[in-house]
Amino acid sequence: MLDLLVIGAGLTGLFAAYTAARSGLRVRVIAKGMGTTHWQAGTIDLLGYLPGEQRPVANWAEAVPELPAAHPYRLLGADAIRTAVVEFQRLVSGAGLPYESAAGSDLAGTPGRSGWRDGGNSLLISPVGAPRPVYLAPAAQQQANLADVRPMVIVGLSGMTDFYPALIAENLRRQGHRARSASVPLDKLTTRRDKSPLQLARLLDQPAAQARLAEMVADAAADERVGLPAVLGLRSHARICARLQEATASRAVFEIPTLPPSVPGMRLDTTLRELLAGLGVRVETGMEARGFRADGRRIQWVESETGSRPLRHSARSYLLATGGILGGGILGERSGRVREVVFALPVTAPGARSQWLRPLFLDSRGHPVFQGGVAVDARFQPLDESGAPVYDNLWAAGAVLAHTDPIRERSREGISIATAYAAAKAVARAVSQPPAAVN
Amino acid sequence: MHTVSLHSAGLSLDACIKCNICTSYCPVSQVTDRFPGPKYAAPQSERFRQIGQPRSPDASVDYCSGCRVCNEVCPTGVRIAEINARARAQMVAEQGLSLRNRLLGRNELLGKVGSLAPRLANFLLHNRLARRLAAALFGVAEQAPLPRWHAETFTHWLLRTNSNRLRSERKVVYFHGCATQHYEPFVGMATVLVLEHLGYEVIVPPQNCCGLPLLSNGEFGAAEQYHRRNVERLTTYIEAGYPILGSSTSCTLTLKEEAPELLDLEGDAGVQALKFATWDIFEWLRARQEQADLPADMKPLDDAGQPFVLPYHAPCQLRAHRIGKPALDILSCIPGLELRESHARCCGIAGTYGYKVEKYRIAMDVGAELFDFVATQRAGTEASSSFACTACDSETCRWQLEHGTGLPSRHPIEILAAAYGLYDLQARRPLGGN
Repeated sequence: MLDLLVIGAGLTGLFAAYTAARSGLRVRVIAKGMGTTHWQAGTIDLLGYLPGEQRPVANWAEAVPELPAAHPYRLLGADAIRTAVVEFQRLVSGAGLPYESAAGSDLAGTPGRSGWRDGGNSLLISPVGAPRPVYLAPAAQQQANLADVRPMVIVGLSGMTDFYPALIAENLRRQGHRARSASVPLDKLTTRRDKSPLQLARLLDQPAAQARLAEMVADAAADERVGLPAVLGLRSHARICARLQEATASRAVFEIPTLPPSVPGMRLDTTLRELLAGLGVRVETGMEARGFRADGRRIQWVESETGSRPLRHSARSYLLATGGILGGGILGERSGRVREVVFALPVTAPGARSQWLRPLFLDSRGHPVFQGGVAVDARFQPLDESGAPVYDNLWAAGAVLAHTDPIRERSREGISIATAYAAAKAVARAVSQPPAAVN
Repeated sequence: MHTVSLHSAGLSLDACIKCNICTSYCPVSQVTDRFPGPKYAAPQSERFRQIGQPRSPDASVDYCSGCRVCNEVCPTGVRIAEINARARAQMVAEQGLSLRNRLLGRNELLGKVGSLAPRLANFLLHNRLARRLAAALFGVAEQAPLPRWHAETFTHWLLRTNSNRLRSERKVVYFHGCATQHYEPFVGMATVLVLEHLGYEVIVPPQNCCGLPLLSNGEFGAAEQYHRRNVERLTTYIEAGYPILGSSTSCTLTLKEEAPELLDLEGDAGVQALKFATWDIFEWLRARQEQADLPADMKPLDDAGQPFVLPYHAPCQLRAHRIGKPALDILSCIPGLELRESHARCCGIAGTYGYKVEKYRIAMDVGAELFDFVATQRAGTEASSSFACTACDSETCRWQLEHGTGLPSRHPIEILAAAYGLYDLQARRPLGGN
């Protein structure tokens, strides 16, 4: 019998599954589709904005105590968050996908080359040239750090429809950075009509295309830092980055995320799936959890939808990692009811549609409906209205949780990693110490 | 012409948020510009085909192989492949069908004709001149892996070995499909032997093609006739409470879901009963295992006790059942068997797709991911067992795997039958007087 069934295959589900499997648990993951990792920039945004604040957070570790008491980060505390992030960084970096903070690749986050303190965010560049507060990023994106004052050239690939170098450079100039745009012709690299970021990344896995691009980029850039769309290889990302660094005068080349599909997100997703396969953990995609059976406070099984009769999955414990409204774990119905889709858990959310959203789309307080979700205790077990765990063998992590608005806070991946780690560890403790028999 | 309705597949397109995950995983659009990718071909184009809009689909939709990887990865549950299948049927209804596609859709008829004189049929079809002619006249790709008719059909074998067959109170119905009947009767034999080993009597009622080749070539009218006939023929057994088991994952998927959904037969009681009575053979075996009803007397596959390395590919048609990979759950109990799970998206052949002259190259390019996986798994293990093969649940995928890797390929039920000591895996024949 499985020790743990993880529902959801986003960053939360995959990292939780890995953490639990490494703790010795027999784990399986089921998911409706590929996770939302494919829509994300591949960076680990820990905490970019405090509620209602316009100014980005400079140091997430120092800002955590300022969050509301019910926030998942407050349930954890900065030390537990740091432990999870260091574990994540060690894991993916060890698997050939180096992630760095502004302090560099130093895993413990001690003061590094640029004098940043532990927890220091960097400002990276968004697909439209806006600043993005990020803690941990793939090495190639971390190089975009706007604290580096050297001039930049944003190089586009002409013919690629999902990247806008002139817009990015202009936005950067308005923020006081020295930036210009340039472009290199894509028709020297490919005759394919499909020039999506992923297709270009696959193309740039080929050594011949890498050499060609390095030549063209070297010609287009003076002694400037070079920003390119995040299409620099899917499988041989490190190799093409090294090649481009060598070829350019500044030796500084960075990636800027594109519109989805996000190549850095797919690199992360692929790395985690391969790590799970290495531990013998199966990830079943195309399996939507639709129902469950509980006897008292114990879940007996979860059912997923199939082409015929529902399929039952039994495990000692269950981890809900289905995401928020975007990921499909929380559903807002036309009636105004907001519900959790698998276990029908109590959800903190405004009950009327008129209260879901504020009139201003970009309101700095965010929208109430996106803060809705499943409330949990400090062990990440979902709670009922009275504050007691709903089920003894159910945990929840990631964007499905209440009292956080990951999009507004720029905490999406941080919430995933920190709560996935904590929940998986809590499951491991519970499985290894079965509850004492009740008389 | 098939009637148009508001159906579940069409309605699901409103769930599309244009995230492009389907396009990221589409094995066809990765290798060719002829198919613009699932998002463009299905949810985006479908809006222009809705009631009151000009309805003709773009010809590029014909390059969708129907592998359903898009459905599998979609995070919002859009039935992309079904939208494409409907669009293709619309094109066929408007523009007619080529003789080639008409023939490829009639797998059952081709099987029957060849089985009248299998040697002659093999001689006539499997020579270079004939294949060149078939390519030039009909557009059937010259190198594509066409099967060979077997000397004896599956139902002939059943008749011949009737006295050996188990009679039991516990009964199951076997839906063998056309490929087992005419080309690979040994897959059916292995299935029967395993089921009897579990103590079940196997009933094989008269049955016809499930209709999938017709559905994938856009002939919905003919497919509906096939499906209704199967429902008629199987209803008594379903009413008696017998499960309908199939060893062909695409046939069972058609009975469960493709035919009811694409043909708008979801409201038909008989169709629904068949949907819920149908099982993939390993899905059913896994349920037996969960009831502790699966014999544990499995022996290592290699006589010398060497580890047996087996690359296993769960075909798209099995993954579309959304039942996981039950063959892996069962085969992992065989001692000494080192299963290597493929994560390749598709072998490329996608039923009749890879047989078409204009699509053969695409199919081989799609399959490269799987062929490379097999080559990697085999590296350094050549000496480990006396016989080497791959395993895959779907027949055309096995033929494509053999074509692309040069290694024999087996149905997992053949592997299991061999582990129970009932079947010669290399020679593909039953042991012990069957």
